[in-house]
Amino acid sequence: MTNNEVVINAAESVVEQPEKKAPIGIFTWICVGWLAINVLVAVLAPLLPIPDPNEMISMPGMGMSFDHLMGTDDLGRDIFGRLAWGSRISLGVGIGSMAIAFGVGGPLGMLAAYRRGKMDVIMSSVMFTFLAFPSIIAIIAVLSFWTPRSLGKIIIVIGISSIPLVYRVMRAAALSAGSKEYVTAARVQGARDRRIIFRELLPNVAPTGLSFLLFGVATVIALEGVLAFLGLSIAPDIAPSWGNMINDARQSLNNVPQNWPLIIFPSAILCLFILALNFVGDRLRSYFDVTEVKL
Amino acid sequence: MSEANNKVVLSVKDLEVTFRKGRQRVSAVAGISFDLYEGETLGLVGESGCGKSTTGRALMQIVPSTGGQIFVDGDELTSLNKDEARNLRRKMQMIFQDPISSLNPRRRVKDIVAEPLDCWKLAKGAERDSIVSDLLNKVGIDPAVYGNRYARQFSGGQCQRISIARSLAMRPRLLICDEVVSALDVSIQAQILNLLEDLKKEYGLTMLFIAHDLAVVKNISDRVAVMYLGKLCEIGPSDTLYAKPAHPYTEFLLGAALEADPELEQSSATLGGEPPSPLNPPSGCRFRTRCPFATEKCAAEEPQLRDIGEGHQVACHFPLVGAHQ
Amino acid sequence: MSQEINSTNQNPAGDLLVVENLTTTFQTARGALPAVGGVSFRLGANEILGVVGESGSGKTVLSRTIMGLQPRTNVEVGGSVLLDGHQIVGATDEDLRDIWGTKVAMIFQDPMTSLNPVTKIGKQIGESLQVRLGMNKAEAKARVIELLTLVGIPSPEERYDAYPTQLSGGMRQRVMIAIALACNPTLLLADEPTTGLDVTIQAQILNLLDELQLKMKMSVILVTHDLGVVATRTDRIIVMYAGRIVEMGTTKEVFRNHKMPYTRALLESTPRVSNPSHTRLQTIPGRPPNLLKLTEGCAFAPRCSRATEKCSQERPTLEPTGVDGHYFACWNPLEDQAAPVSIQTGTIKEIGEDNVRG
Repeated sequence: MTNNEVVINAAESVVEQPEKKAPIGIFTWICVGWLAINVLVAVLAPLLPIPDPNEMISMPGMGMSFDHLMGTDDLGRDIFGRLAWGSRISLGVGIGSMAIAFGVGGPLGMLAAYRRGKMDVIMSSVMFTFLAFPSIIAIIAVLSFWTPRSLGKIIIVIGISSIPLVYRVMRAAALSAGSKEYVTAARVQGARDRRIIFRELLPNVAPTGLSFLLFGVATVIALEGVLAFLGLSIAPDIAPSWGNMINDARQSLNNVPQNWPLIIFPSAILCLFILALNFVGDRLRSYFDVTEVKL
Repeated sequence: MSEANNKVVLSVKDLEVTFRKGRQRVSAVAGISFDLYEGETLGLVGESGCGKSTTGRALMQIVPSTGGQIFVDGDELTSLNKDEARNLRRKMQMIFQDPISSLNPRRRVKDIVAEPLDCWKLAKGAERDSIVSDLLNKVGIDPAVYGNRYARQFSGGQCQRISIARSLAMRPRLLICDEVVSALDVSIQAQILNLLEDLKKEYGLTMLFIAHDLAVVKNISDRVAVMYLGKLCEIGPSDTLYAKPAHPYTEFLLGAALEADPELEQSSATLGGEPPSPLNPPSGCRFRTRCPFATEKCAAEEPQLRDIGEGHQVACHFPLVGAHQ
Repeated sequence: MSQEINSTNQNPAGDLLVVENLTTTFQTARGALPAVGGVSFRLGANEILGVVGESGSGKTVLSRTIMGLQPRTNVEVGGSVLLDGHQIVGATDEDLRDIWGTKVAMIFQDPMTSLNPVTKIGKQIGESLQVRLGMNKAEAKARVIELLTLVGIPSPEERYDAYPTQLSGGMRQRVMIAIALACNPTLLLADEPTTGLDVTIQAQILNLLDELQLKMKMSVILVTHDLGVVATRTDRIIVMYAGRIVEMGTTKEVFRNHKMPYTRALLESTPRVSNPSHTRLQTIPGRPPNLLKLTEGCAFAPRCSRATEKCSQERPTLEPTGVDGHYFACWNPLEDQAAPVSIQTGTIKEIGEDNVRG
């Protein structure tokens, strides 16, 4: 058989195998849409016709109406306005701190996994020591002393304290990708370390990273809620966040039980946002999972 | 021996690879020497754990060799610094056993094949595209249709074709194939073996073909070397070695190979026992613990590879007669 | 389909296993996947049957279905598997537990994943003896050591307390065989039992299976992709392609007088030790079909050099050749072949005799 025949035979042999993944599904799209609306509102809040969150524009404790979509709180501030502006703080903390954690922990984790050896041992022992320490206590301690609290400070504290966790996840992902033969193959071709990390490892680690990023943002938003509950977030009269709105509502609800929108709306928004993040994160992971593509 | 001439492309002298396993030292390759002549295919066979794959990996410096020398076209590889070694390794390429895992699932076929060109900044733009298309055509994959697909969309046989195309991009002198067909179905295996034979001719390749399957190795090789527990037992022209094995181990190995023919009488002599641990190899000849012909001399003295005619060498104090001499 | 194969559930020939029109269909996200698409065959007592095919031919699914080892969800099993009077298809877990071990047992390709890594091998073998046969601890241990000796494990008393990771691949496979044989099954299903083992170890395991088959008077179904294994170790073989039997008959007859072009192609693409080096291998163009997109015709037609229009429109049925229960499914069968495929009979043996010590 001549070489030409081989070529023809092989060409016939390639069976069409277009990528067929399970469809993304309407529910995922709803979640994505919901996340997008929140982000858009947060970004565009100053430009949108949203009532000022700190202005006492109306009577306290008003019910839902066309003027006040979700009613007003016990100081007469518009709940919808406060929620919209509050998303800036909540999302800011979530995304900002994760940006720090991934910016530092991600590259370090991948580098440690690729290089192995002494570098990995030293970095991993430092990181794992920090991991062993309950970070929530550290965050609470630092934030109680580092006053006045601002968005930036909260982002930095949560961001830094999340580095070890991100490091561990990214290192594990890179370790499993790095043990594959294609990394060896790239070395054999003469690829240098940087090229291997960016071309071979990163694309295979990115899906894990992305879905963990979404989980991280969700966790941090919830964490901000906890901090606000403890009075360790930004003061509610400076800027509202979903967390400190819930904390505020809890206190006023004791006095005025019929003021339920005060607690229902921020709780519902926070809850739905975190749920959507987690759901999309999980869906992304399975969507990008190469092994699930093949039968 | 078809196209082989006397020019040595690869010369291995006393190659040793030792791994540390806790406090112990495992000598995976315990001093082997062989030459590879231009245009020939040398098959390297042996059972799992004999060090054949480690040999291939040490030649590519994927695992560091702990002793001995590797000459590629006369240049010694192990004494060079990192950059010089990287340069010299351009002459050598390797194809791996697991076709799926040796391609990055998240990269496009075109980019995978062009990887060596990109690493060495050898070609760009239209020139790069035409080299890649040409290579893919050579291995039987239509670049227009499949070039932009991701590696994960291909079957094992196709992945191995893509790996071959990638390995040829640098126009290597030497191609090391490590169990390249053992993960494939028989019909696909035949396609890949034929393809390798054709490309070897076309590109004037010298090949080291590492495999455990005796029939596959014989089919593709001009000469065959048999390894046992980190040592070479025997090396010689394929047809001679298979017809008249001189080392008892080779004969047992051949006897255990099952021929797909119910009417062919199979060898009834099976080799008992299992290979000893490389942590604690036997003294003298490493095969002596399983060899029915072993004597005291075999325990006391390590047999060296010696010529028994017709380019046939054996490391045995008592080579099987009927071979030569 | 022939009269003999199509006959009813009655079992005049005293066959141990009667499989009739067996189908196994997996429900996948991309549609129904007929992994086994209507398979009928019989297996006599003390017979060794080889099932060969490439990956995706359905040979492994077939053996698991015969064993009753299919997940309860997303799979549909049709037809009938009658093992010594017991119907496997549709049997409940309790029914199957009664059959497993005593009637049918299975050994798998990868002994490492089928053995529990944290349990001593003696305990793993003895488990079924105590549960199934009601032996007490001491009896079970004695029998385990007997079994370990039977499967050729050296110093069985010591190995009784070993963990699977402390054993080599060949030894683990021997342990798997011991587990399978613990309750004297009448049928042993061996799914690629030697794939992944070295040739010399493979020979040991195959010899052991041969020996045990005779000693324990059981039938064996040997599922493998390796034509060398079926050629040398089976009485009869079934060649599978795309979930169906394409050829079936005594091993000698199928190797010598195959009628189905796929069987020939498979044989001719296999490299042989007895052929000179650089022998050009015959290749089968293309790849095995996508089971999700099977057509009405013969599944091999797109790769077959003898295919005609009829082949792509109508699926051939299994027809007898009239020789020794030899069946084939092909519209354009190959003519009788006078000579066996390989001519160099006895090469290895001759060398063996020539080798006199010097």
